[in-house]
Amino acid sequence: MAPGRKPKSAGPAPPSSTLVLDNGADTIKAGFVTVDDDTGDKAPRVIPNCIARDRHNKTYVGAELEKCKDFGEITFRRPVEKGFIVNWEAQKEIWDRAFFDDKAPQRCDPSTTRLVLAEQPNSLPALQTHCDQIVFEEYGFSSYYRGIGPSFNAYQDIQAIFHTPRTPDTIIDVPAEVILLIDSGYSHTTVTPILQGRPLHTAIRRLDVGGKLLTNHLTRLLSVRHFDMRNETYIVNEMKEAACYVSLDFKGDLDKTWKGTRGERRKDYATGGGIAKDYVLPDSHTRFHGIVRDHEPGAAARARKSAVSTEDILTLRNERFSVPELLFNPTDIGLRQPGLADLVMQSLSVLPVGLWPGLLANIVVVGGNAKFVNFIQRLQVELLERVPDECVVRVARPEDPIVSTWLGAANFARHEHADRLAVTKQEYEEHGAAWVARKFALGLGVDTLR
Amino acid sequence: MNNFGVIEVASTATKTTPGWAYVPDTGPSLSATALQPKNRKRAARNTQPGLSLSDLTARQENKLRKDLEALNRDNQRDVNIPVPSSSRSSHKHTPTVRKILQSQKTFANHLDDYQALLALAESNPAAVVNNPLLFLNKPVVATPQAKSASPAPVREKGGSKRGQAAAKRAAVKAAAAAAAAAEEEEEEEEEEEEERKRARQLAAEGEDVEMIDSPAAPPDEVEKLVETYPADGTILPAYRKRPPAVHPGDGDPLLVSVVPSFPTDEELRSLMTAPPLSYMDSRAAFGEEGERYPIRVFCEMCGYWGRVKCMKCGVRVCGLDCLEGHREECVTRYGL
Repeated sequence: MAPGRKPKSAGPAPPSSTLVLDNGADTIKAGFVTVDDDTGDKAPRVIPNCIARDRHNKTYVGAELEKCKDFGEITFRRPVEKGFIVNWEAQKEIWDRAFFDDKAPQRCDPSTTRLVLAEQPNSLPALQTHCDQIVFEEYGFSSYYRGIGPSFNAYQDIQAIFHTPRTPDTIIDVPAEVILLIDSGYSHTTVTPILQGRPLHTAIRRLDVGGKLLTNHLTRLLSVRHFDMRNETYIVNEMKEAACYVSLDFKGDLDKTWKGTRGERRKDYATGGGIAKDYVLPDSHTRFHGIVRDHEPGAAARARKSAVSTEDILTLRNERFSVPELLFNPTDIGLRQPGLADLVMQSLSVLPVGLWPGLLANIVVVGGNAKFVNFIQRLQVELLERVPDECVVRVARPEDPIVSTWLGAANFARHEHADRLAVTKQEYEEHGAAWVARKFALGLGVDTLR
Repeated sequence: MNNFGVIEVASTATKTTPGWAYVPDTGPSLSATALQPKNRKRAARNTQPGLSLSDLTARQENKLRKDLEALNRDNQRDVNIPVPSSSRSSHKHTPTVRKILQSQKTFANHLDDYQALLALAESNPAAVVNNPLLFLNKPVVATPQAKSASPAPVREKGGSKRGQAAAKRAAVKAAAAAAAAAEEEEEEEEEEEEERKRARQLAAEGEDVEMIDSPAAPPDEVEKLVETYPADGTILPAYRKRPPAVHPGDGDPLLVSVVPSFPTDEELRSLMTAPPLSYMDSRAAFGEEGERYPIRVFCEMCGYWGRVKCMKCGVRVCGLDCLEGHREECVTRYGL
């Protein structure tokens, strides 16, 4: 960052580089984008958004977690709660170490940088105001836009995600005309219909099931059935990511993993039925990450019996699919909310029926939970049951659903919409935080499309 | 609600069970038939409709709530990890920033504050009229006219109205062509050549259903439409490509599908400029009709269907094996 480039004139010379931040509850996705397309980051850096403490009382802030080897009994402090930045004390420390310290890996000078920050929809006004105040008063970014994460996804080439066949001369719509975006992250899952990059706020719906809840549920199941894993959130989370999948035939899979009535030896249960997997737990001496193996009947018992047990084996059966099942049936744990497909239908129900075909044919799923095997297929099947026969339902996920919002936000930063929406530091000082919040809430408006 | 005149204190559960009840004698009241439900069988199961989930005992309800709370925690235990003090923070904060940094409020606190503010606004609008935190979700703000000081791009007021009208006319015409094209595509079941086109078609089809069996516009006329079509007037522009060739099966009444009408620009405009909902409103909840399906119950031990209920505590298990496993726990908790 050249220090001499700071614009001295009052004229709105847009800053040359933009820091694009998708400040998720689990990980921060961050990278720089420059106005001339080539020099910016192509992919974001993914930084754990937490302050962690391991069992030896060593503390890791943000990216330092990479240095941690032993994740047993690790505890986390997360500045983001329910998707929104709540604890600025911790968040500032993590940001400082990532972007503003002398030795920071992605160092930048806020006074010559624009910040594009993605937030979850339907935030609390107080939290939004806090965020704006910190950005301008503490860091002093020269220009800033805070937009809702799902709508940034519209600035990507959506049809490439669907592999829509097209001629090479087709003009790529940026922002995409119509998409229905499902963001299933760490804290919750939201459904956002987006027209021309503008979210339809009245139709945004939220389901309070996210990756954290799934991990905690798996922890509970394992603690009842196997070992007490209640302090091993990190390990269980790895297990969930490695072994869990969304079932396309829940009833059938559940039957296959049932041990049977008393005295009965069911064949599927004994052999594993193609579902059971052995998970080798990390022992924090030689192995720091778990391994998934095909189920080998008797392996766990043998390991337990042998005097010099080298590995702890956990057999995962219906835990593999009954955990992600919560996204589609939250009532299974007593959460009184509709499942994901019903959530989409609720969102559509407040929109004119004429928009349904377009939205249903362009459903994009982003966020970490989209990585579950068969997630897309299950959602598509459930939606087809619910929508009129004539509707085409296409559900797709980007190659990497976790960084998808960042990639969209990076494209947004290059788009002229960014210049229209961003607020400069001068404007903030002139009009105050409330004005900034109002401007962001108003969004693009519809009077000048494109 | 028929409570037999008894006011329950502890539980909200209601159940019409046969038998007798203490009824305060407050004059001529309920007939005896109301106290004696007709269907005496399976009274425990046949609870009043719409109560399937909330019809839990207070104890179960409490357990559920605690379980859900536990599932939403970051750590199993309460941990207090202090932020490691960095040496370089000699830099002075502004008072606002200092306040924010020192705030130990959790999300639940902020949510409560917000709800209190909303309640105050409802009961006493004058008290919060200037509160910027509430201002955000007022629908008034959403109309572009409300922002006078805003530096948002200036709109061309004069031309836009006429442009819209022209655009709509053009859109209707183009939609007629597109509708015919869509019919044909359905007929031939050909590979869709482009999704954008298709999405638009599906959307545009609805403009006028009755024109479906009219022949498609000749290509030169379509071309003319494309030329005169103002690209910036409508929110979702109509299909602008040449429709596929006419097919004899287009007019087949069997292939006619009912397509919803496409929303007008005004509708779209109001949707796109609507203010964000509040955090509570955007949470999906069951509608009035409640859940259409009964909730599924699983074995607490192994995760299979919960087909058997423990007689002592009501926990569901799948069979005798799991019931025995459960008994051990149940006995330690509730005694024999």
